Amino acid sequence: MKFPHFAKTPVFLMATALAGSGVLAQAAAPADLKFASAAESKAEYERVVVPFFAKHCNDCHNQKELEGDLDLAVLEFDMKASTSGARWATLVDLLTKGEMPPKKRTRPMPESVAAVIRWANAEAKRANRHFTRREAYANGNKVPHESLFNPKDIPPFAADPQIRRISPEIYAAFVAEMKAKSRLGQPFSPSGRTTFKDMGTPKVDEPVTAQLLQNALSIVESRTAHKLEGDKVVGNLTKEFSALFHPVTPPSEPQIEAAIVHQFNQILRRTPTDAEKTRFVALMKKNIADAGQTVGVRYTLATVLMLPEAIFRMEVGSGTPDAKGRIRLAPREIAFALAFALTDKRPDAALLTAAAAGELDTDAGVAKQVQRLLDDPKTEKTRVLRFFREYFGYDKATDVFKEANGGGSAVDHPGHEPRALVEDTDRLVQLILEQDKDVLKELLTTTKSFVAYKTAADSKKKIAEAKAKFEADRQKDPAKFKDKLFKPQQKLIYESYGLTDFPDVQPVELPADQRAGILTQPSWLVANSTTFDNHAIHRGKWIRERLLGNVVPDIPITVDAQLPIAPEKTLRTRMAVTQEAYCWKCHQLMNDLAYPFEQFDHFGRYRAAEIVQDLEATALNVDGKGKPKGPVMKGAPLDISGLIAHVGDKSLEGPIKNPIDYMKKLAGSKRVEQVFVRHAFRFWVARNEAPGDAASLQATHKAYSESGGSMKALITALLTSESFLYRIAAK
Amino acid sequence: MITTRRNTLKTLGLSAGATFLHPIVSRLEAQAAGKPITAKRFVFVVESNGVKAQQMAPEGVVRKERDQKPLNGPDSFVDVSLTGRKLPFSLEPVSAWKDKMTIVNGLSGRICGGGHSNDHGALGAVPGGRKGPAEVQETIDAALAKTLPGIFPHVGLGISKRLENNVVYSISAWGQGKKLPIICHPLQAYNTLFGSVADGSARQEFIAKNNVLDFLKDDIKSAERGLSTSEREQFGAYLETFETLRDRQSKLNEIKHTLREKGPVASDKYTSKVETDRLDAQFDLGAAALICGLTNVLTISSAAGEQDFDINFSGLGLKAGKHHYGHGGGENGMTYLGVYDMIRRYHFDLIAGLCKKLDAVKEGDGTMLDNTVIIYLSDGAEAHHSRCWEWPMVVMGNMGGKLKSNRYIDYPGYAQKGHRTIANMYVTLLQLAGSSRTSFGMADPALKDFDQHGPLAELLV
Repeated sequence: MKFPHFAKTPVFLMATALAGSGVLAQAAAPADLKFASAAESKAEYERVVVPFFAKHCNDCHNQKELEGDLDLAVLEFDMKASTSGARWATLVDLLTKGEMPPKKRTRPMPESVAAVIRWANAEAKRANRHFTRREAYANGNKVPHESLFNPKDIPPFAADPQIRRISPEIYAAFVAEMKAKSRLGQPFSPSGRTTFKDMGTPKVDEPVTAQLLQNALSIVESRTAHKLEGDKVVGNLTKEFSALFHPVTPPSEPQIEAAIVHQFNQILRRTPTDAEKTRFVALMKKNIADAGQTVGVRYTLATVLMLPEAIFRMEVGSGTPDAKGRIRLAPREIAFALAFALTDKRPDAALLTAAAAGELDTDAGVAKQVQRLLDDPKTEKTRVLRFFREYFGYDKATDVFKEANGGGSAVDHPGHEPRALVEDTDRLVQLILEQDKDVLKELLTTTKSFVAYKTAADSKKKIAEAKAKFEADRQKDPAKFKDKLFKPQQKLIYESYGLTDFPDVQPVELPADQRAGILTQPSWLVANSTTFDNHAIHRGKWIRERLLGNVVPDIPITVDAQLPIAPEKTLRTRMAVTQEAYCWKCHQLMNDLAYPFEQFDHFGRYRAAEIVQDLEATALNVDGKGKPKGPVMKGAPLDISGLIAHVGDKSLEGPIKNPIDYMKKLAGSKRVEQVFVRHAFRFWVARNEAPGDAASLQATHKAYSESGGSMKALITALLTSESFLYRIAAK
Repeated sequence: MITTRRNTLKTLGLSAGATFLHPIVSRLEAQAAGKPITAKRFVFVVESNGVKAQQMAPEGVVRKERDQKPLNGPDSFVDVSLTGRKLPFSLEPVSAWKDKMTIVNGLSGRICGGGHSNDHGALGAVPGGRKGPAEVQETIDAALAKTLPGIFPHVGLGISKRLENNVVYSISAWGQGKKLPIICHPLQAYNTLFGSVADGSARQEFIAKNNVLDFLKDDIKSAERGLSTSEREQFGAYLETFETLRDRQSKLNEIKHTLREKGPVASDKYTSKVETDRLDAQFDLGAAALICGLTNVLTISSAAGEQDFDINFSGLGLKAGKHHYGHGGGENGMTYLGVYDMIRRYHFDLIAGLCKKLDAVKEGDGTMLDNTVIIYLSDGAEAHHSRCWEWPMVVMGNMGGKLKSNRYIDYPGYAQKGHRTIANMYVTLLQLAGSSRTSFGMADPALKDFDQHGPLAELLV
């Protein structure tokens, strides 16, 4: 079989090799290769795969070397009888992308690679194991931590020019600023394949453009809305625009030009070039001639909103390269980049003035603007809080459907109100940012907490009033109220925090032996839970990736990842299924990091025991006719011990006794601080860090630690780093 | 001509004074010239909160809810003719087309994972819902849309429990990571589909739009020239979208008479706060889109997806959201099963309306309905807390006699010999559409000894 464009079209080939569709699978495994039995498959495996492994792979992937934990000699060829399918899928992926054998090794012949892939696909088909894998998100942690933070070995800077579509939030802020009268659809959505939502370069597709155009027309319609009174144009529109709609006198060329200039300034924050003026004037004239005055004018004005400049953020750089081959972003590019780093709004006047005056040509000038924006109370730094929301992910608490939300018979915590929990943690983050001291450490260990802070006072007042009324009514008619208990209408959100009432003063101090920082806030715990349970795997994965800076391999789809249904067992006991050797390779990276959080239930409440079903008592719980009356629960002892291991930093590794000690240990680690900086880099530079960013990362970490843990210092260092301000031009 | 023009238009809810329709004329001409009718259309009606298998059997067939475990049903295939049998209560509205329908019980979809909704897994036969959020994968409606391209490749209409949601991306996906819109605001759907001919200025807008698209194409092309190769990709993708839009304009131009004449008339229902009004309106719009030839694949989502599944059907006199009934709550003298039945019957009233409209338009030797397949299912499979051990579906239409119909069928229990999955149903649809694909979605790993490829042979003639 011919394998066209092997090296050049990895994307296509990946689809061919990995997609689950039959047609595509057939493309990779032609009709002539079909195994009716394991024996047939084995024959082909021995003919094609074994010699390939011997020649290219076995030197590293053998029992002794075990490179990548893979011993090819024991990788079962039979995907039906074994669980080898997932590993074969990985192998096909790597072969397809040309990532294995490693670049430094002798390249295999494309034909022999193709033959191996063809065999694997045919065997997968025989075994009914489809090589579809969840889309691996591009995890920046894949760059080894040590290669980024070694001050003695700093690789040369490298960063490609970037063109990215604006984020959904920037677009929403723009629409709000335009005061469109109708509700407009959001054209953009996050790609979902990155650590943070606004990263990478997702492509604009047709539904997006269609929506953008529809919105552009709505915006222009709102901004040019008017009535005609006689020959007068009446409405809340600027003079440049009103001239365009005069019912008797069609707009003159200078009037059209003035309107175009006005629209450019409104939408793009700049005046059009002469060439642009000429083109747009011609377009408006043509449109008026073809489609009438009103329609022609509006469509032309809407066109400005569709220019690439209005949709894309340009971070390409301009001018000549410096001695290191670096090109600095153009001043206007820097102004937009800074504005979009901290807010969702386009640059303010001061920033544009600074750009025009050449003040952004120096790092000191940039730092001055960053500090101005950070210190200016009027500038809403929406992006800073968003970083913490996305980094910790506590805002996902509102996505987790708990039975407490909707009634039914399974309610066990009617006070659960995820939106309030998220707001409380938002406020806590803001408080720590206001103090701007040891920010990460505080986030991980603070005992302070807000408790339904937006509604606590109001709820408390209403409950007291209702209770007083209830008592008064009871005194009037004791017989009627004999068996009635007072039930407040308000949700008792404080129960999530282990309190007995809404606090009068916020923030409150929670017991230091119960809570320590964001990871023990109910919002984070709920965000990493399911409808009925704690989600130990997500919790462990979060800590592994976002604090320890390691990589957890993607879940192989051939694994049916479900815990057994056994209500009589604790979560930890049920998770024993993940200790099977094959599962444990990944789960050892997650489970032990999560068990200390078994200290809390899945609503985020501190607990002394885990509630499980008492099977014996349930069996005995029957009515007179022997019909079951429902489950009986009992408390099972908690096991909250955990283990930090496989980090690559001995100072962190070792057993953990409880969540409090655990958080303190993590908060004291330099590595954890650096991993935090790596994530900040990803959020603000909007791409994964690469070895070429080592200097920027180290400078940022230095600024953070030398400032005593100031987030402002960290952000300023990042936004003045070469990774943010420079590009290396394509050759 | 099987009905008068006036009656046809009345059935369609179309503007008065419309002349007989252009595509239909073309189809008649094609027919007269002896050319075969090749039209094929698929409609998915996806209702949230589960479809109870025990409520889907016709009179005289006892069907119990199956256990949530392997071997939960018999080892034999059930095949019962609907002739002479009353349809179950909720399906009664489509009785007139009984000879063109198949009620399908006993398929499973364990790969999806279950939960309140299987989200994109339901039409994708891949993990979704409780197992998500994995990256979404191509859904069956999109796969069919690629096989049967139309002016709009896929039209997604629906309702959301929140009035302010104009568009949701809850159930369909063009491919990996590319969710398709479900337009939840009927007026927006109307503008998208028929807006180009909506009123007097339509022609002007149409021309202006063409001018603007041409202008922007040129503008982006020249901007692209100033960039190096690696940076061009973004602009290239943007440029491509303008080419696609411009192309669609040309096609809409070609059928503008039809759109004017067959397009629906906007009504109060388009902006109603009552969800049943909006769903009615969406069915009207969907029917008109099919009849005008705007698309061959239509997905109608009745609040499908995790974010909407507990919608309250206030228009049916209900006070609580579906979650309440899912947990066994009754209302208005009905048990929860009664409420399930009533809500489903309302959906089949709408499906009946759609059938009626399609059946009123002659196509080839029969009607448009003969070349259309409507599939009804729930994104929540078999229950409020679905586990996908079974996944009831109703198939309306027999695609020119290619599907055996007039039947109630029930597949053997999970992991019994002869057991089949929703993926097999989707392959059946793909092959009906002319695709040669033999598998769809992801295989169920727990059925590794089963052949999960190929269509449902029992459905095909």
